[in-house]
Amino acid sequence: MKEVKISSLQLSMMMYPTILATAILTVPSVTAKFAAHDLWMSPILASFMGGVAVFIAVQLHKLYPEQTIIEYSENIIGRIPGKIIGFFVLIFYLEMTGEIARSYSEFIVSSFLFKTPIMVIIALMLLVCAFAVYGGLETMARAAQLFFPAFFVPLIILIILLSPDFKFENVFPVLEEGIVPPAKGAVVLSGWFAEFFLIAFFLPFLSDRKKAMKQGIINVVAVMITLTLVNLTVLFVLGVSTASKTYPLMNAGRYISWANFFENLDAVIMAVWILGAFVKLTVFYFAVVLGTAQWLNLSDYRPIVWPVGILIAEFSFWGIPNMMVFARDEDQSFPFYSILIQVLFPLLLLMIAMIRRRKGENRAVNE
Amino acid sequence: MIRNVSKLLRRKKEKKRLDQREAKPQEKLHANFDQNVETFRSIYTNCSDVLFRSFLLFGKTRAMIIHIEGLSDVKGLEDYVLSPLMKETADTPQSFNEFLENKLSVSKVEKVHLLADCIESISSGNPILLCEGEETALSLGLAKWEKRSIEEPQAESSIRGPREGFIESLGVNTSLLRRIIKSPALKIQPMKIGEYTKTNVAVAYIEGLADPTLIKEVNNRLQRIEIDAVLESDYIEELVEDNPYSPFPQILSTERPDVACANLLEGRVVILVEGTPFVLIAPISFFSLMQVQEDYYQRFVISTFVRWLRYLFLGVALLLPSVYVAVATFHQEMVPTTLLLSIAAARETVPFPALVEVLIMEVAFEALREAGVRLPRQIGSAISIVGALVIGQAAVQAGLVSAPMVIVVAITGIASFMLPRYITGMSIRILRFPLIFLGGTLGLLGVVMGVIAIVIHLCTLRSLGEPYLAPLAPLKKKELKDMLWRAPWWMMNTRPHFTGESNAYRQSPHQVPNPEGDKGKRQGRR
Repeated sequence: MKEVKISSLQLSMMMYPTILATAILTVPSVTAKFAAHDLWMSPILASFMGGVAVFIAVQLHKLYPEQTIIEYSENIIGRIPGKIIGFFVLIFYLEMTGEIARSYSEFIVSSFLFKTPIMVIIALMLLVCAFAVYGGLETMARAAQLFFPAFFVPLIILIILLSPDFKFENVFPVLEEGIVPPAKGAVVLSGWFAEFFLIAFFLPFLSDRKKAMKQGIINVVAVMITLTLVNLTVLFVLGVSTASKTYPLMNAGRYISWANFFENLDAVIMAVWILGAFVKLTVFYFAVVLGTAQWLNLSDYRPIVWPVGILIAEFSFWGIPNMMVFARDEDQSFPFYSILIQVLFPLLLLMIAMIRRRKGENRAVNE
Repeated sequence: MIRNVSKLLRRKKEKKRLDQREAKPQEKLHANFDQNVETFRSIYTNCSDVLFRSFLLFGKTRAMIIHIEGLSDVKGLEDYVLSPLMKETADTPQSFNEFLENKLSVSKVEKVHLLADCIESISSGNPILLCEGEETALSLGLAKWEKRSIEEPQAESSIRGPREGFIESLGVNTSLLRRIIKSPALKIQPMKIGEYTKTNVAVAYIEGLADPTLIKEVNNRLQRIEIDAVLESDYIEELVEDNPYSPFPQILSTERPDVACANLLEGRVVILVEGTPFVLIAPISFFSLMQVQEDYYQRFVISTFVRWLRYLFLGVALLLPSVYVAVATFHQEMVPTTLLLSIAAARETVPFPALVEVLIMEVAFEALREAGVRLPRQIGSAISIVGALVIGQAAVQAGLVSAPMVIVVAITGIASFMLPRYITGMSIRILRFPLIFLGGTLGLLGVVMGVIAIVIHLCTLRSLGEPYLAPLAPLKKKELKDMLWRAPWWMMNTRPHFTGESNAYRQSPHQVPNPEGDKGKRQGRR
């Protein structure tokens, strides 16, 4: 299992859509609810959390280079407590994967395929993701690498095509009510940036481990810049009404009319977003499957790919009764849940590990 | 678990192959002449093409020549073997076989001890000379049979470049390689595959360029083959592939010696098979299927342009019909209004939904193509007339299909013919059908899902251990020079990575032609 190797560049190309896929669609409206026309500042503030998550993941990786969080939590705080922590982490990722699958399908159903049952879309997507996860990490990394330009370039083109509709005055007044509103928006966004902790599942497979920290930080900055750009674009086009839209970038995309030919490009946005959602889902899916295999001490994760896929499909319904609940969950509980599992737990583990290691060193010196 | 069960089932089904060998491999020739002759006669019972010619050697010793009619040079046999040996009347010399070797004016003579080797020699056209009182036979290198002359390759024609193609004879094919690569580093390892055909197979590579583990792997996989017959190199291709279920070819086949040599020089292995002009090249990547020899024989700007045109039409061949169906069925709002109106007007009279319409047309097109390939050339033109008139014109006029659909299918057809290797075009054409279904049922979402699935499949594929999408994913920046564009020759300094790090450079750098600079230098020297 461990002979599989990916490069840190490939990891970055996997993580970038992983954070952005859901973020570019819902984040503008979520942040706009709190920050109004200062929404573009929130990503800058929130990226701090991403940096922290990367830092913790890399530090833990340095202490236990061959292990993921599921394995080293047992080493750090003992077998049973470690299993309990691992269980919480796995349940979190399982639920998140279900939520991503659901929100992706809701987006498709509400914007394009109005009559298609939502289960069909979830099942189809999870099927494709399962193929990729089954194919292994190398396959996932290569696919992510191939899809990266297909995800990134249309986003830039979209922003460029929207530029004629920009109303730059929408950004004023800056910081009308002080730093608190964007900071509140940033708290919500931190939930997304905390997802950078997922690299903890991939670091043991890295071929160039020394670059992990540098690439991770570059990645956080890239995501921050992209989100700021997207937020600004949406703000310039839609103004303060951003908060009332579910998918503001989609609404902005409908403004595009270029040479009377490139019109109604929302299907293109959908295609791009499917690619992003695919990469995001495979990354989460892989983390769940790999973690579960390690939690159960299995030698190979492949046999549980399909069962876990079915579980994810079920979680996409168990976790979210309807989109109203999901929207509220996204603003109010997701950030804290996400930060708790992906930053605070690992931070705790890191601190205990550091203390234990120092004690061990002291003991070694004393002896 | 399922795998284990099926393995158990398979074990039960496995039948023991009957050992059909004519002679046990270790059986030696007898000292008794009559017994030897008897053995050969019993092996070759009911083989009217095997000729036994007995004569008296030097007028006293009994001897026999065994050869197969039409496989050996009869004139040579008469002039250089029979007549000197029969006419000569000398005393029996000290070493009989040595003397024979000195007397025979044939360039290639081998001593043979084993019966199996004798049979092999006879069936490959080299006559066997048996003598009384000798335990060894002589294999005379007089093989000569009718073969096609070297012609222009039919399946891979080009405007500029050598016009020689491989033929069915292995010896000629290896000589074609050797004529291009004169260095002794070009190694050709012989092998025999096929229980009945005993087909000669040769593995060619360049020592120092090809990765030794790769050669080992190729040899291992070839030696594992146990099959009755190898009639074409595809037999071997299917038996050594990494993923036998994939629609994509993981081994390249070519008719052109220059292509084979170019690949040898990039560290790949070439497998030549007797009886077919198509040689196999491995390992390859998906992008080798997009390259043609002519890319390297014309100006790099043009080659780059053509290469990008190919990538574009690869996308068209794969996606155009399914995207058209998806847009016409689900995403009409994507189409600009005027275009939408004309499509709608054309489709008004058509009784079928777009999905059915495109399937009818695509299947009809595939049938036309297949019919055109198999038919004799004289009738082939009739097919195109029928196809163009009936399907193109009449179907539209009758209102069975819409004109835009005919255009879509035609463009797709042209696009799939643009792919340089016929086999690549085929795999793309096959994958088009599931995509059309996905586009007709789930719209663009389905198409994107299908493309993702294909990409995942391509990412898992390997060709003899090399990733199939090699220079792109995993990314090899240095090799993009031969994928994203065709770099001019003075920039192609490094070899592809699987050549190994030890021998990374293929030419000296800084060879950009710069006449002005040269002039300056020369003047400076003066």
